Amino acid sequence: MVAAWPTSALRLPPPAPLATFQRVSRASERETRLRALVDRYLDFVARVLRNAGTPEAEIDDDVQRTFIAVSNRLDDVRPEAEKSFLLQTALRMAAHARRTLARRREVHDSDAQLRVQVPMHTEQLLDQKRARELLDQVLETMAPDLRMVFVLYELEELSMIEISSALEIPQGTVASRLRRARADFRERVRALSALPQAGVGS
Amino acid sequence: MNEPPRLHIEPESELERSLLDAGRSYTASASSRANVLAALGVVGLTASSTTAAAMTKAGAVKWLAATAFLAGVAIPTVRYLAGHSAPASASARAPIANSAPAVATVPSSAPAPANTHESLPNAGDPTAAEPAVNGTANAVRVESKPAPASPLAAELSALDTARAALAAGNPTAALSGLDAYARNFPHGKLSLEAEVLRIDALAKSGQAAAAQKRAQAFMKRHPDSMLASRVRAYVGQ
Repeated sequence: MVAAWPTSALRLPPPAPLATFQRVSRASERETRLRALVDRYLDFVARVLRNAGTPEAEIDDDVQRTFIAVSNRLDDVRPEAEKSFLLQTALRMAAHARRTLARRREVHDSDAQLRVQVPMHTEQLLDQKRARELLDQVLETMAPDLRMVFVLYELEELSMIEISSALEIPQGTVASRLRRARADFRERVRALSALPQAGVGS
Repeated sequence: MNEPPRLHIEPESELERSLLDAGRSYTASASSRANVLAALGVVGLTASSTTAAAMTKAGAVKWLAATAFLAGVAIPTVRYLAGHSAPASASARAPIANSAPAVATVPSSAPAPANTHESLPNAGDPTAAEPAVNGTANAVRVESKPAPASPLAAELSALDTARAALAAGNPTAALSGLDAYARNFPHGKLSLEAEVLRIDALAKSGQAAAAQKRAQAFMKRHPDSMLASRVRAYVGQ
């Protein structure tokens, strides 16, 4: 006599609907992608925001907003376009921050031009914070369109083609703006260097 | 296109070099990553090694608060813990709400306001009263941890245990952990997060119908919650 298989003991639980597994899988893939995005581009986004004019105190918030924006459109953003999307979003954030800051200064602050007149000894070893402050002051005085190209080329080391794509302007315009931006930057740094030394280190 | 060499390669002066270096070396704040992940609803134990290594003990508590769960209550959570564990600082900002950036050209989905304590489910929550799971045979014993210093930290710890089990591929243990959370914190401030974790765990344990039922109830009660995007996937079966 052949023993019957205990079929009831072998019976597996009913499988979950395929759609459920697919949704769970998609949610997991989404999280993985978002996490990778943050790990890869967090500093990039923060740096672009900062150098493009977002005040230090607002960087963390705008970094979050930038990633939230890409998260909201994640399904529409091709993997190879992630950096470009983040860049464009960050630049818009920064432009908004600059406008807000400018409005605030119109009301509260009349010494914006005075701040750049900080005496500086060219041979003085600048600490990072001091250098950052001076860079902010130089960048703030540049025209926004020149500043954008300068930041992306000199600080982010994007190619002119990448800048052309990110800013949606012709490559010739990028080249022209970069030429003027570099000259402008150097002129301002030279002017900063030439300021009287009085007050250095005070 | 012929590109000129970057200025920092041949700077005109030390001042120019310093300024360019300052611009090139800027990095996000130490707490930024955790806050961004929390704002995105990406929960994880896998903080980068550099982030984890850079954290102080007090910072670790903030990180736990910021990343532990989803951004909906992260703001009150971080504020609460900051008030009890360490002085607040500008670099330890809480995650912001998932709102569209105030830039017209930035695309966004419907903005969802951040949750507040007032929006959290209370003890009368119908779904919270439902039995969660009956599969005790496969349940893995949830390791107990030392009691955290504050009630909210204890809640975070309890949910973290459940989430870790879920991340490890053991939804049954996660559900057991969530049951324990519900028993120990019947009026927990993180009940909303617990509910989302439970829906995840139910779905991953093959209890699709239960997950769907809870997801529908969640969406009905909290349609504007930031957590809704995580739950929405389970609503339509």
